[in-house]
Amino acid sequence: MSAQLDEEFRDFMHGRWPAMVRLAYALTGDQGHAEDVAQAAFARAYASWPKVKRTENPEAYVRRIVINENRNRFRRQRVAERLTEAPPESGCADTTRQYDERSALIAALQRLGPRQRAVVVLRYWLGLTEAEAAAELNCSVGTVKSQASRALATLRQSAELVDGGFQ
Amino acid sequence: MSIDDQHDLYERLDRAVGSITPPAAPVDRAMRRGRGIRLRRRSAVAAGVAAVVAAGVIAVPALRHDASENPAAPRYTATVQPPGPHSPPGLIASGMVNGQRWQMTVSKPGAGGAGPGQQFALASGPAFGPDGLSSSSPPLAPDSTDPVSFNATSSGPSQAQFGAVRADVSYIRVRLGNGILLTLHPVKVWGVREVAFAVPVGAAITEATAYSRHGVIATAIPFNYPGGIATFNAWLRPGQHGLSRAMGLIGTGRVSGQAWSVTAYLGPWGICLEGGAPGTNAGGCVPTTSSLGTSLLFRSAGTPGVAGGTASASVARVVAYPSGGAPVQVRPVTVGPQKFFSFPLPDGSKAVRWKAYDSSGNVVASGTSRLPGS
Repeated sequence: MSAQLDEEFRDFMHGRWPAMVRLAYALTGDQGHAEDVAQAAFARAYASWPKVKRTENPEAYVRRIVINENRNRFRRQRVAERLTEAPPESGCADTTRQYDERSALIAALQRLGPRQRAVVVLRYWLGLTEAEAAAELNCSVGTVKSQASRALATLRQSAELVDGGFQ
Repeated sequence: MSIDDQHDLYERLDRAVGSITPPAAPVDRAMRRGRGIRLRRRSAVAAGVAAVVAAGVIAVPALRHDASENPAAPRYTATVQPPGPHSPPGLIASGMVNGQRWQMTVSKPGAGGAGPGQQFALASGPAFGPDGLSSSSPPLAPDSTDPVSFNATSSGPSQAQFGAVRADVSYIRVRLGNGILLTLHPVKVWGVREVAFAVPVGAAITEATAYSRHGVIATAIPFNYPGGIATFNAWLRPGQHGLSRAMGLIGTGRVSGQAWSVTAYLGPWGICLEGGAPGTNAGGCVPTTSSLGTSLLFRSAGTPGVAGGTASASVARVVAYPSGGAPVQVRPVTVGPQKFFSFPLPDGSKAVRWKAYDSSGNVVASGTSRLPGS
């Protein structure tokens, strides 16, 4: 790959890395996994960079890879990771409200399936339209609507969020 | 869902994901992984990738494995075999190390995203750990003087030696420290005759002998970096003798709060220097059979860095002027028949000028070394 293409990729990754790690964090609920997923996504983007950069929206391309990487990770670890009602370990007490809120929301998101989680993040955090979310998830608008509806219903039932005011 | 719900969810999500602080973007690592993905797609070779060590005649950027990686067990097995009729394109050789499969592949020069004048080399298979190893470098090409131009690379518990073979070489026999004898048959890969083999990291490679149809062409006794990889340098024709073996510490001290040292190794391989701060060892070798004049041999890119070189008999002192640091004056140290010098480089020193003086204060040699990109 030419030095110019490499430089373009470097600029792109430096610029979009924080956003992709945060997206991956919303999807995985773990910063370490998030960094792994984001890095793997950028590696895949680099492997096809000449093609990726020609797309209308390279960021959306990488976002799709992040979502797929997370889905693949979920598939691989379905047996290894079991969702429980409460976190298996309590950890150190953290008294900040921000931490509590973050924990509650992330825990609630982790109770959703990977596709529902992706729909919530794309629709209600990134603000994508139903059509845009459908394109990124490679599914129909109807699927996005139904997944969003089910996801929100689940979130409304989450004790953590109800206690925090989301209902 | 109401607008309020959506707004509330957005705000909560934004606070939750905004509260984490991503580290610096690992661009180089992502690019290395990306190159590996590209190469695997094209060569259908299964394995991941990581970083590379391209050990040539001069520069050996990473000589030792981390302490956490296993040194070679005293008892080990190693096999090698040439590609078969259904092997993937670009395969030089494959085999087993301690029962674990390995293969060495090179991409077509200029293809697979390697760029003009570049070629990917990929060491893959369980013997090279989960990631394997990929590097981009100028395409392998035979040397007019050396029968085989070996490159070294290592990943996980194994090291690979691979290179281009001169036209008159029929086969190569490699003797390992535990007595195993490997026979390498050159194969044409992308138009170039090449060989490869793999052994555990830290396993001594005793010698490689290249044969023509008429007999021995030359033998190379590689320098085995302690606990690390081997580097082939000087090839000795039948009856030719190299330097006698000798080793000695040529510099030590502290810089930027860290200890550093440089050691010289002389022998039939030529002259090799190795040193640096802990964890950032680097080194370089010169394939010589006699003493050398004054020149900088290697410079580590670690933090802090070190540099070292050979000095002619007349050199009495060497003064280094690192960028961003104070000048350093050192006196040469003699090991065997050769004088050496080494000096530390403070953190952030991208370039260094150096001058060698004789006892009368005359400059007998000088030079400048810059890190790539500086």
